[in-house]
Amino acid sequence: MENSNKLSQFSSRFPKTEIEGLLPMGDMARSFLAENDFPTTKVERFKYTRLAKLGNASFEPSSDEWIPSKSDQQICPDAIAIYIINGKVILPEMDLPKGLSIDFISSAKHLPFSTVKDVFAAMNIVHAQSGVLVKVDKNVVIEPVIEVVHVVSSAYAGFTRNHVSIGENSQARMVLTYVSEESKAIFSHVHTSVEVGKHANLNIEKVQMESSELHSFADEEVWQDANSVFQINTLTLDGNLVRNDLHIQVIGEHAETHLNGMYMLNGQQHVANYTTVDHRVPNCVSNELYKGIMDDKSVSVFNGKVFVRQDAQKTNAFQSNANVLISEDASVNSKPELEIYADDVKCSHGSTTGQLDEEALFYLRARGISEKGATQLLLTAFMSDVLHKIVVPEVKEKVYEVINKRFNWELSL
Amino acid sequence: MAGYTENELAKDLENQEYKFGFVTDIESDTVPIGLNEDIIRLISTKKNEPDWLLDYRLKAFAIWKEMTEPEWAHVHYQKPDFQAIAYYSAPKQTKKYESWDDVDPEMKETMKKLGISMEEQQRLTGVAVDFVMDSVSVATSFKEKLGELGVIFCSFSDAVQNHPDLVKKHMGSVVPMTDNFYAALNAAVFTDGSFCYIPKGVRCPMELSTYFRINAGGTGQFERTLVVADEGSYVSYLEGCTAPQRDENQLHAAVVELIAMDHAEIKYSTVQNWYPGDKEGKGGVFNFVTKRGMCETHAKISWTQVETGSAVTWKYPSCILKGDHSIGEFYSVAVTNNYQQADTGTKMVHLGKHTKSTIISKGISAGKSQNSYRGLVQINKGAQHARNFSQCDSLLMTDECGAHTFPYIECKNPSAKIEHEATTSKIGEDQLFYCMQRGISEEKAISLIVNGYCKEVLNQLPMEFAVEAQKLLAISLEGSVG
Repeated sequence: MENSNKLSQFSSRFPKTEIEGLLPMGDMARSFLAENDFPTTKVERFKYTRLAKLGNASFEPSSDEWIPSKSDQQICPDAIAIYIINGKVILPEMDLPKGLSIDFISSAKHLPFSTVKDVFAAMNIVHAQSGVLVKVDKNVVIEPVIEVVHVVSSAYAGFTRNHVSIGENSQARMVLTYVSEESKAIFSHVHTSVEVGKHANLNIEKVQMESSELHSFADEEVWQDANSVFQINTLTLDGNLVRNDLHIQVIGEHAETHLNGMYMLNGQQHVANYTTVDHRVPNCVSNELYKGIMDDKSVSVFNGKVFVRQDAQKTNAFQSNANVLISEDASVNSKPELEIYADDVKCSHGSTTGQLDEEALFYLRARGISEKGATQLLLTAFMSDVLHKIVVPEVKEKVYEVINKRFNWELSL
Repeated sequence: MAGYTENELAKDLENQEYKFGFVTDIESDTVPIGLNEDIIRLISTKKNEPDWLLDYRLKAFAIWKEMTEPEWAHVHYQKPDFQAIAYYSAPKQTKKYESWDDVDPEMKETMKKLGISMEEQQRLTGVAVDFVMDSVSVATSFKEKLGELGVIFCSFSDAVQNHPDLVKKHMGSVVPMTDNFYAALNAAVFTDGSFCYIPKGVRCPMELSTYFRINAGGTGQFERTLVVADEGSYVSYLEGCTAPQRDENQLHAAVVELIAMDHAEIKYSTVQNWYPGDKEGKGGVFNFVTKRGMCETHAKISWTQVETGSAVTWKYPSCILKGDHSIGEFYSVAVTNNYQQADTGTKMVHLGKHTKSTIISKGISAGKSQNSYRGLVQINKGAQHARNFSQCDSLLMTDECGAHTFPYIECKNPSAKIEHEATTSKIGEDQLFYCMQRGISEEKAISLIVNGYCKEVLNQLPMEFAVEAQKLLAISLEGSVG
């Protein structure tokens, strides 16, 4: 056993998981950890992300005695809100609509077997302390939004594991909110597995507004059954170092997947979006649109992979990533990948990087709009196709509110 | 041929033997197999090299020993045993030919089979051919004519003897020996190659070309090409390869360095048709090549490649756009069939202001092959107003092959404009229907569509090469459509 490497030092500071559903994956995760060290930029998945600071950070995983006080950070006031504060779950006290059950993850006897792509995902399996289990039965439509609010504060560092399952013919909307209350929290890793049943429809708005020193990792792994529709909008509005890993496994025919993302960065922010759409069966459609604006010294990474297996004939997969750099020191790294083993498919990807069109700016300024106003207008227009994908109105309002505050803009819906 | 079905076509193709698979029976002067310092010293002595070059080789060897083979490429193969290769093989005759008539008739026959009859080429096309057969240049034509303009076009070993200053100055300046595993190996054991120098302001009046050919069984081919275009000069360089049929895998680890000084332009075209292995995926050449060009101010380097051969290809012709207003271009058609694997693409590194790059890559996968595009577009901080356009299309011919795209786009300057687009699909049924409905047979229709699909790249090739490339494309793909 190698105990001397940096990874095992990092890992040893977290308690072992007691979540029953994770135990069957334990051996796989541990052997992955044994074979790898704490990632450096030499590891392909971390090529653009420097984690030395995290590796050397001092933190105390939260102790059992600590009791969170209820927070008021949710975006949707009428939502069924589940708070996860520094890894502690507070279940909603209200009556739940028929067909919806919410419980601690520890109540899950069985969880879907995860694909582990990096050491953090493996550590989550070994060290996750808590999380929430959201279950929607067959044939129901859950009207209210289900919001999972992840709050971190003090010198928090820890792993959280959530599971969502949507039964056949059911429909739900969820918001995953990520906020930090103090600027000292260090590390948070949340893994959410999602099972979307046949003919089910699930929409997730993932709103990230953490700030400060936090290294925030938020993975979603989704299994989509036949004829289901799944959409996730990853809205990264703030954060220090944010890594999103979205892994979609399309396992039933005629499923439809929509992944949208927007990221607006300034300061020294680093946001990395990794997405994988694994088409395992024929006749499915996936659509991916990620757009970003980078200011100051921010860095964005986009790595989207579309994987079409040999059996997945008649797949239509589209992927697009567009970036605007508005400062001298910002940088963007984009890697849209296609890996295709079936021939009767239509797959494409596009990636653009540039700045605002000077002629468009001139046009607006010639009509008496200030430079700032014209810039805002064009940037909003640039983002609008992602903003229009947002389903929950409160989320859209929140996005505008946060952007206006951070960039000192005056946009309205 | 109306009754000719796709399946029949596929069968025909499978049975098609490699057309250029033959071995020339010439005595080879081969050093013992294996790789160690003594072998390197032996190669160096045999080639009568100066001390600095031997030191260079030994240094590279020391570096190579510390390196590991790259594994990131999307290819799978049995790694070559570097100790089971003979690192030097030269045709026995040491005599240099004064005239074409002196050349061994058997060698002439080889060239005829390759379709590069020298008389014909000399007369009709004005192409000066530096024919490399197993590492040693055998015949060089048009030398005098080029000499009048001050153009140096000779084998690498001649250049080491006759122009040591130029070689010493430029060798390794674009692809340092530390660059990668195969570049280091090449630096240690390279046997020969081509050297080309175009003086200031000279527009090279003819297309320079080199034919490479792996011949003696079990010998690796470690070529090194260095093209230096001095200020304001222009050269078009052609490189073409066909290799005879072999059962064990052969390794080809070449290094090509291009240097385009201020206002110079280099056009480098390759048609690669090494033996791809039989239809079971047995044998074939491993093509692990490092090609890179350095562009100074207002310089332009244009890579055009048609890749149809090799069992495994690992090749990324790149441009370092160092000078302001420099231009890099990459046009590629990569065809894979049966069990071939190709991982190819380019790197465009933008350092200077107003630098431009264009990437057009067309991949065609048939049989059970895997074809990947892997590219990097890097805009560095000082590269104001850099511009890149990339287009990577893949065509899938059967349901057992794969087409993959791995583009890396890194931008550190806000004034840059980068566009990348990629598509993957099979030949449109509507397109096929349209052609066939007008009385064109399926086979012809496919070839028409594929040719149209590759046109953007083939148009970049010089005339003689374009013809050969189209032939190759047709041979490689005939009936492979499923």
